[in-house]
Order: sequence, then C-alpha cells, then structure tokens
Amino acid sequence: MDTNQLLKSVFKDISFTPEEEEEFVSLWHEFSFRQYELITEAGRIEKYFYVVVDGVQAIYLLNKKGEKVVLGFSYSGSPSGVFDSFIHQKPADTFLEALKPSRMLGILKKDYHALFDQHPKFYKWGHYFFQEILFGRLFREVELLTLSAEERYKAFMSRCPEELKVIPQKYLASYLDMKPETFSRLRASVHF
Amino acid sequence: MTKLLLTPENQIQRLNHFLNYVEDVKRESYDVLSFRPNSTSWNVLEVLEHLRISHSLYKSNIDIALNELTQNSEVPWQYRPSLWTRLVLKGQRPKGNKRPFKIKTLKRFEPLLNENVTHDTSNRVFDGFFEAHHQLKQAIIDSRTKIIAHKKIPSAIGPIVKFHLPEAFEFLICHAERHKVQMDEIVASYH
Repeated sequence: MDTNQLLKSVFKDISFTPEEEEEFVSLWHEFSFRQYELITEAGRIEKYFYVVVDGVQAIYLLNKKGEKVVLGFSYSGSPSGVFDSFIHQKPADTFLEALKPSRMLGILKKDYHALFDQHPKFYKWGHYFFQEILFGRLFREVELLTLSAEERYKAFMSRCPEELKVIPQKYLASYLDMKPETFSRLRASVHF
Repeated sequence: MTKLLLTPENQIQRLNHFLNYVEDVKRESYDVLSFRPNSTSWNVLEVLEHLRISHSLYKSNIDIALNELTQNSEVPWQYRPSLWTRLVLKGQRPKGNKRPFKIKTLKRFEPLLNENVTHDTSNRVFDGFFEAHHQLKQAIIDSRTKIIAHKKIPSAIGPIVKFHLPEAFEFLICHAERHKVQMDEIVASYH
C-alpha cells in the first residue's frame, strides 16, 4: 500500500477534492526508525501524530523499579504516537519504541490542528478516533481485571495481527501483565 | 538497594527531566543565576559549570568504550551494579530534597568562574552544560543496543573506582540530581 492509500484508509470517512487531497498528503513527513530506536522519549514533547507504514512499535512507561510496563502497540496501518503529550505539548510520561524497523508518516501539531480548522469533517473523524481509543482502553482494563493469565494470553493471541506475535516476548508479557516465564510457558503449552 | 536495576530508558527519562529543569532555571534573572547564598557557596552558574567539567572527565573514556563495544541483536541492556558501585551511587543520589552528605569538591572539579560573571559567561555556561549533557544522552542512546557488561572505564573519583558504562552514566545522572537539590536551595534562598 502506498502512503497516499494508507492515509486514505486511516481517514476513510473524509472526502477531499483533488487539490485538498494533495495539500493533505503534503502535510505528512516520512520517518524511518531502526529496531529498538526510541521514537519518543519520556520527558520530551511528542512532536508528531503518526500513521504506521510498516513495523511494530510499543508504548510503555517505567515503574518505580525501572521496569517497562507496556501499555500498547501500534503496527502497520494503525495510528501511533504519544497522544496526550502531542495534544497538550507537555513532556511525555511514556516512551514510544520501534520494536521492528519502522516507517511512519508524521504530522506536526500545527498542521494537525489546521486540518480541523480548515475541514470541519475532521471533527467527526476525531470523535470516532478517540472513541475507539477509549473503548479499546476500557476493554483492555476489563480483560486485565477479570481474566486469568491463560485467558488473557488466548484472547490477545487470537485477535492480534501476525506481525505482533514475533516481537520480543518480554514486551508481550508486560502488556498482558504476566512474567516473561509465564508467557513463555503459555506459548509452549496453550493452543488458541 | 539490592534490587537497583539500571536501564538506559530510566536514565534517559531522568536526564530529560533534568534538562527540562535547567531550561526552566535558564529563565531565572541574571541576579538569581549569579547569587551566592554565602561567601563560600557556589551560584547556579558555577554548579552548572561544575557539572560540565564532571562530564568532560568521563566523555573521552565513554566514547572510546562505545567504539569498542559490539552491537547486540537482543533487547536493550539492563544492568545490576555491584555492591561497591551501589554504595558509591547511594552516596551521590539525593533522597527527596536532601543530599546524603556533603562531599568536598576536588580541585579538578572546581568551576573556576571569575568573581564577576557577566551575561556572556552565563550564556557560555548554559551552552556548555547543554552540549555536554546532550552528548551524555546520546552516549546512553548509542549504548542501548550494545553488549555493555564486560567493558569498564576509569572513574574520575580515583584509580580504585572503575565503572561499567551503565554505572558511569548512572553516576553522572545521580551527581546531576544531587546538584539539582543544591540549585533548588540556592534559588529558594534568593527568593
């Protein structure tokens, strides 16, 4: 999928005139990140709202012991970035790291806001986008609070994209709130 | 203390917070930056210059070590320091707003600013501080995907103390955090 098609698929409910589309596409900058490169550092302000062309990224924070607590992943075709830092332009509490070599399209805050100012239809997109994020977070919270480790493993592995299954186990284990040893045992013994 | 786990991400996060702090300090008036609470204490600019000098004593050894280390295809490093290093770090790291104990500064770490610092001096000190500490952060970033465990570098404390790279990074960050408490005290005593 080329970058124009990718952007159209992410913003699929928005129709542009050819001129508007050309201007819209021109606002996005392409970035490449090596495996394990930090895309956004905790303590720095997120500059971009990203759309992932390819690769897998993890968003995580550090607990008091300094261990990574993975909050989520982004992957080919999905939006990415540290949204709270991007929106409020305050230092991020989380890291965004490329777990696989990644290509991403990024739009600056001023250009992101200009889209809403110039095209009111982006408000509808924004409404659904943040609604999806909210529901996703609620769904994850319910899973963490109500399912056993094995059930969480099965539920995640049955719905996650293939490219997520090959990232280092410790990131998946942290996301599912289990020890890497538990994740490893479940991977060896549980079929889904 | 036995569970102290060093990670590059933790160090980067703390260093970013410290850099943000110094960006805020930079907005203070020249009167505040050059204020000494008493005749024997440093002002904020001298503290920052001291931190630049401290980093400069490690920089070349860090750079040499990074060039010699091989790339790791596994996940970024995690490191548990030795008991001896944990004690050294504990002596540096502040507890809340308290420095564990005062340490007499060795001559080679003295900031040596003139008594009458100017605005130019102030700009030079901040530029030097930020350059040094962005280099430190880049060194931590560059180290993340290298095999770091076997390589030691001399410390600036003395020949007896040698650090693995994560320990050297940690020492410099704890040292900066220690002096952040001092800068807080200086600024508070001005106001």
